[in-house]
Amino acid sequence: MWGGDARKAVTAIGLLLAAMLPAAHARAETLLRTRLNADIVSTMPGMRRDENTDAVLLHIVEGLVASREDGSVGPMLAKSWSMSQDGKVYTFALRDGVRFHNGAPLTADDVLWSFHWYMEPANHWRCLSALHGTIANVLSITAPDKMTVRIALDRPAPLFLKTLSRADCGGTGILQRASVAADGVNWIGPVGTGPFMLGGWRHGNYLELLRFPHYAALPGPGDGNAGGKHALVDRIRFLIIPDSSAAAAALMRGNLDLMDALDSNQLGIVRRDPAIRLMGAPTLDFYPILLQTGDRVLKDARMRRAIALTIDRSGLARAATNGTALANASPVPVASPFYGPAESMMTKPDIAQARRLAAASGYKGQPIILTTNRRYPQMFDAAVLVQAMAAEAGINFQIQTVDWATQVSLYSGGKYQAMAFAFSAKMDPSFNFDLLIGDKTKDARKVWDSEESRALYQQTLEAADPAARQAAFDRLNAAFLADVPAIVLFNSRRIGGVRANIHGYKPWPAAQQRLWNVGIQ
Amino acid sequence: MIAYIFRRLLLTIPTLLLVSVIVFGLIRLIPGDPAEVMMGPDADPASIASLHHQMGLDRPLPVQFFAWAGRVLHGDFGISIATGEPVARLIVERFQLTAVIVLAAVSLATLIAVSLGMIAAWRRNSRLDLAVVGGATIVLAVPSFWLGLVLLLVFGLKLGWLPVVGYVPFSDSAGAALLFLILPIVTLTITESGVLTRMMRASAIDVLNQEYVTHARAKGLRERTVLARHVFPNAFAPTLTLVGLSLGHLLGGIAVIETVFTLPGLGRLMVDSVLARDYPVVQGCLLFTAVIYVVVNLVVDMLYPIFDPRVTAQ
Amino acid sequence: MIRLRRLHWNALLGLALVGWLLLIILLGAFWTPYDPIAIDLAHPFTPPSAAHWLGSDQFGRDVLSRAMLGARISFSIALGTVALVIALGTMLGLCAGFLRGWIDRAIMTACDAVLAFPGILLALALIAVLGSNKSSIVLALSIAYLPSVTRVVRSAALSIREREYIEASRVAGDARLYTILRHVLPNALPAVMVLATSLFGWAVLSESALSFLGVGVPPPAPTWGNMLSDARPYMEEASWLSLAPGFCIMLTLLGVNLLGDALRDYLDPRGRQ
Repeated sequence: MWGGDARKAVTAIGLLLAAMLPAAHARAETLLRTRLNADIVSTMPGMRRDENTDAVLLHIVEGLVASREDGSVGPMLAKSWSMSQDGKVYTFALRDGVRFHNGAPLTADDVLWSFHWYMEPANHWRCLSALHGTIANVLSITAPDKMTVRIALDRPAPLFLKTLSRADCGGTGILQRASVAADGVNWIGPVGTGPFMLGGWRHGNYLELLRFPHYAALPGPGDGNAGGKHALVDRIRFLIIPDSSAAAAALMRGNLDLMDALDSNQLGIVRRDPAIRLMGAPTLDFYPILLQTGDRVLKDARMRRAIALTIDRSGLARAATNGTALANASPVPVASPFYGPAESMMTKPDIAQARRLAAASGYKGQPIILTTNRRYPQMFDAAVLVQAMAAEAGINFQIQTVDWATQVSLYSGGKYQAMAFAFSAKMDPSFNFDLLIGDKTKDARKVWDSEESRALYQQTLEAADPAARQAAFDRLNAAFLADVPAIVLFNSRRIGGVRANIHGYKPWPAAQQRLWNVGIQ
Repeated sequence: MIAYIFRRLLLTIPTLLLVSVIVFGLIRLIPGDPAEVMMGPDADPASIASLHHQMGLDRPLPVQFFAWAGRVLHGDFGISIATGEPVARLIVERFQLTAVIVLAAVSLATLIAVSLGMIAAWRRNSRLDLAVVGGATIVLAVPSFWLGLVLLLVFGLKLGWLPVVGYVPFSDSAGAALLFLILPIVTLTITESGVLTRMMRASAIDVLNQEYVTHARAKGLRERTVLARHVFPNAFAPTLTLVGLSLGHLLGGIAVIETVFTLPGLGRLMVDSVLARDYPVVQGCLLFTAVIYVVVNLVVDMLYPIFDPRVTAQ
Repeated sequence: MIRLRRLHWNALLGLALVGWLLLIILLGAFWTPYDPIAIDLAHPFTPPSAAHWLGSDQFGRDVLSRAMLGARISFSIALGTVALVIALGTMLGLCAGFLRGWIDRAIMTACDAVLAFPGILLALALIAVLGSNKSSIVLALSIAYLPSVTRVVRSAALSIREREYIEASRVAGDARLYTILRHVLPNALPAVMVLATSLFGWAVLSESALSFLGVGVPPPAPTWGNMLSDARPYMEEASWLSLAPGFCIMLTLLGVNLLGDALRDYLDPRGRQ
């Protein structure tokens, strides 16, 4: 009697199952599924941006030059360049045969248009201030012929090309003018020259990139963001998965092919899965405890040194990052070519000496507020561990957890006593020191405000040859360790996990996901 | 009846007004600035200030409020600071998903709660009662993020029956979408059924002690009839209030569950927007959930006289 | 006049569980096996053993000691919230449900306005404004839950109001306050008791969810809630980190709920023949 109904139900379930099976194509289209921990904020390179945005957009756009694996700068859309004798004029020769995603060929005119787009103040390009004073002032950008671009600066700037290649500047990616509406103001979408084009974007859910069939690759292997880049899959889908446990489960379940930034607290279970290959690379970021040198308790350098002396960096790095990070006391990251013997000096914790120094500075156990957040577990854990370590020398930290936006606001206003923080990977140590050094009255975010530090920092910008720069970094680092405006704790390691059928993926010190040259077997 | 509904809707206007003022004030009392969050901690202050100005956030608060309220009255909820999308579209998109999960889970939870609660009350102090009370209490003690993750690990990872992430919208494939929704619906059903069961049991016990039940039994009515005709209608009213409250709340977002199961629902949108200080989205979402809440409770109040004849809609 | 004979097994079990909790809190005030906040980086993730009965966490802190200290903090947050919410909510709900008129409308408008916010979001925003510490967590949770209690009490009062004996006492010319105290309050009590015991659980869990969202009780102070949310990433490799606070929460809630039931039976005017 109910047989008919049951059969109907079975048929319905069958249909449902059939609908769920991937349709078999004649030629299977390849799809690479990877994770972002948050949605990208815009498709404008280097403008409305964060690290995820930078990483995605660097698949779509390319600059004149690009960062290599070792942090140096290599050719990208420019096949070569020359610098004038006085170091103020750069001349770039563009590559032939490069096409934009809309089919238009790359010419000097596009480079000029792009630079005007970036230099327009209303567009809030991230690196405008660098090319408007910090590194140099751009005086003019001209095109002597169809395939040549000339940029004149007001002073020699050894870091000029590195600035252009910065990921957070959008790699100063060259755009076709079709990226912007006819009014020259309203953004449509990035029309670049990269190996992938922007596909669909479902906000908060996923974002897709499509292979650009007419991509003109450089010869040779890939090297950082430079070198030969090839789109080996037809589509890349960035799934937006904020929760790290869910993301790790998705990778193990096979709902993800690749995960670039595996949270260290997920390593335990992912490591045991034989279907996942793990790869790691030390990165150029750094995690410090910032100390407010203007604070009543902390203004005495002896007090700041006392705090630094309580900290066992190796133990802290191990506990806060599941043994993945590299303990480091210097703002020069371990993975930097400028990490020399002077930078690798790390003092051992000395509780007795810390007590003496704290007492000498007049410290009597006043509470010191240590601000942190729960969004970034490594900052949170660092704060918990520093609190416990300092307590051994009678230094009384009280942890204050706030949400990330509040912490950014407190940081920007210099409104903290101590703060667990992190600075993202930068391709040159000067950029790291730039974040710390400056005049607090003009920019409250600056951590280290002293004549000496500014003079020493200037030397790192002006020195051209590596030996001179190394010497400048060594002097700056020594001054940093003596003055302790911040306590650097460690540099993190980027861990990537891929499923067995994925090849060509490699994490790198810039800590930015790269999916060109990545294929599926 | 229609006049009653109309009057009730009229009465919600002060509520909504109060909500908008609270939202506007509260979110701006929290330190933090959308321009700062968007540009990151190492952006230069000049561009942050300029973006701040471009967003109109440097104008006095009352001016901003009335400008926003004026646009809302014309049906314009503004655009998201973070993504540039129209807020109204964002809300509608995200709400559909949340609504499916919540309606399914609350219906299931109510069914479970009514049957278990009635049985437990009827067989009070029996072993069955202990099992129901114990079960409901255990369920109350389990945080949803924890339960969700356990289910995800067991059914997604260990057994491999269900996908872990990669939600596809209903418009793309209804079958696939349903498959993703099984675990979140089960999680929510379990966590919601605890308190509803306890409430149902408590009010059923209360009613079973009433004289009219004793009378009904004395009249020789069958136990089933007593339970169905006398106990259930009278005991269901407080549970219904609670169901209404849960619905109103849950439709406003199930942020934790949406986070664990990676679903782009309204709750995640709201928490993300608060954390990013995306003011137009937070304001739009909260106004929207306030309306939902008011409507749900209006419906519950209309149902009240049906279940509890002593209360008349007035 | 508690007649012990009337105390059923479930009341006894409830008493035992709550007594056990109070004992732990009392003991924890004087003695814990280890310093609950001292780290021991040489011994992280120790499974339960003779040295650490409930194991140690990712920083080598003793889980038993933390659970003991956490009991006090969690309990005081939950109790504070429940007391505040029930006291205010019962008062407002009774006023609204019994007096009706403009008082009812004003209270309900305010309740609806607060209820229209998703609770956890309201708490998140309030704590972000007030700062994250114990008293602002209690305050934020109370504000978030107050309207629910008010509404439930009001609906109980509404339904009782229509019953004859209230009519009768009105005819007899009782003063309003007396009527509320004499008739409505005892009759609304069963619903309030159930809510109070459920609220206790919600408060403990909300504190956990707030920790999960980053605004719970600041570290290194342990609560069962933040122990549970901290243990989440290690659920598989170090399950004891979740189990300890999980069982504490569960047994405590079971005890509180059973006790609440027994208390309700005792207070219920009709159950006392």
